[in-house]
Amino acid sequence: MAASGLLRSFSSNFSTAWPLLTRSALLLAPLRLSPKPYNGRTIASSSRLSAALKFTDKHEWVRVDDNGTGTVGISNFAQEALGDVVYCGLPEVGTQLAQQDEFGALESVKAASELYSPLTGEVVEVNTLLADNPGLVNKSCYKDGWLMKMTIANPAEVDALMDEAAYEKYIRSIED
Amino acid sequence: MLLQLRRLRPLRTGVQQARPTSSCLFPDPSTTGSGSGLVLQSQSTDVFQNLALEDWIDAHVDLQRRAVLLLWRNRPAVVVGRHQNPWTECNLPAMRRAGVPLARRRSGGGTVYHDLGNLNLTFFASRKAYDRQRNLRVVTDALRRVRPELDVRATDRFDILLNGHYKISGTASRLSRKSSYHHCTLLHSADRAALSSLLRPSCPGIQSNATPSVPSPVANLTDHAPSLLWEELLEALAQQYNSEFGFEAAPRPVDPSDEALFPGVGSMEAALRSWEWTFGKTPKFRLDTRLELRDEQLGARCGAGLHVEVKNGLVESCRVDVPHHWLPPRLSGALGEVLLGERFCPHRAAAALTALLRCESGQPHRRLQNLGEVLLAGMG
Repeated sequence: MAASGLLRSFSSNFSTAWPLLTRSALLLAPLRLSPKPYNGRTIASSSRLSAALKFTDKHEWVRVDDNGTGTVGISNFAQEALGDVVYCGLPEVGTQLAQQDEFGALESVKAASELYSPLTGEVVEVNTLLADNPGLVNKSCYKDGWLMKMTIANPAEVDALMDEAAYEKYIRSIED
Repeated sequence: MLLQLRRLRPLRTGVQQARPTSSCLFPDPSTTGSGSGLVLQSQSTDVFQNLALEDWIDAHVDLQRRAVLLLWRNRPAVVVGRHQNPWTECNLPAMRRAGVPLARRRSGGGTVYHDLGNLNLTFFASRKAYDRQRNLRVVTDALRRVRPELDVRATDRFDILLNGHYKISGTASRLSRKSSYHHCTLLHSADRAALSSLLRPSCPGIQSNATPSVPSPVANLTDHAPSLLWEELLEALAQQYNSEFGFEAAPRPVDPSDEALFPGVGSMEAALRSWEWTFGKTPKFRLDTRLELRDEQLGARCGAGLHVEVKNGLVESCRVDVPHHWLPPRLSGALGEVLLGERFCPHRAAAALTALLRCESGQPHRRLQNLGEVLLAGMG
């Protein structure tokens, strides 16, 4: 009798325990990103183009800002599935995160749900508006309901995430 | 079923890898042929061990292909939800006096009192199979089977009410990467006097955005069905679980402290016991309150203001506004300063106060001591 137990890989802080997400069909050319901020040079350009959103299979999005930091939030699919958010538990500024690390939790009427870091980097800012207005995550998940900003230690991780089209496809495939 | 273990051989380098070992407790569902459900009954009444067991099952058991029901109960304890403030939710000094520990669970929801008359049920499933109303149906159907005269109904807040009015069960849950668990209480024969006396705020004047509890009048099942035995209740629930989900699982006793069966559960328990988790995870809050000061020797009184900000359970700022005629500002200022960075805890504050008092005598000493005592009382 096959007496093997069934165990999922233990979720840990060691990124080596998890394979990095691989996307076999990236529709966009990979972005080349500099993680270093500009050093005081004025940039004589017009309004910046809105950066594209990249998505994880855990329904988080990342947007790379001009200065090379990544803004992180949850997708519309996620906020709908969660229900009304009543509390956002976010990390301290300065926290070091490896990709897939738990960085916080959202409590909604549905449950307390862990948040997983889409990238490796350091937390540089958290959205303090969410303390008194956690519902922003539902009302404006791509804009005012952003969760945190972090440095991008490994730009290749961003390249490997899903773009919007791939993410839409992914949602349709799990919704059945 | 045997509970065998397959131990990994050490690597050649002589370093033993700390990998989880497999166990026959969770056999491959395709081999059992009897449905992929499991009913476990914890043999421990320690709240931290039981919460650790929940964490372990959530992290280690493949819930895509099986479901688990865990039945457990605890010696008296107060359990707050993940994002709650224990100082507003429960009476910490009374708990200390009664030897009732505080635990913080990883799921959301409100504060509950546990004792041996309260049954906890945890329904583990994949995220896809997460269905709280269905789980609560298991409970209400089981109750109606053993005592058809009981009027029990689940609400849309996922409480279970008896006679449409008394809460006999509350619910909380947690969603992880791929798994979920939904747990609920069930009041069989709990000590309601203890419950109501301990689930009161420790100190007034706290403002925070922590998730609040929704207080409700409660009743025990045995208040309305006195002949309902504990064992009878457990058996009915296990049976109904099997019936609802099409399983054939007989309840199995487990020891949540068994490191061989649940490798790593000990460190999960330690994390749950830690001050950093139980108190340190409290969302940032402010305490603004009025202190009534007295000088017994002179029969004098004075009012003072206390303003504290607490983050991660530590005092981030502390201002004591005492009229200058009562106490020199250097002393009330020093008291505020000496508490900075300390745990928001009367023991730590008392230690800091003692150090300050050593340098004073006479009236300042007397009044500072009184201020300290009143302050400690205001901290819960």
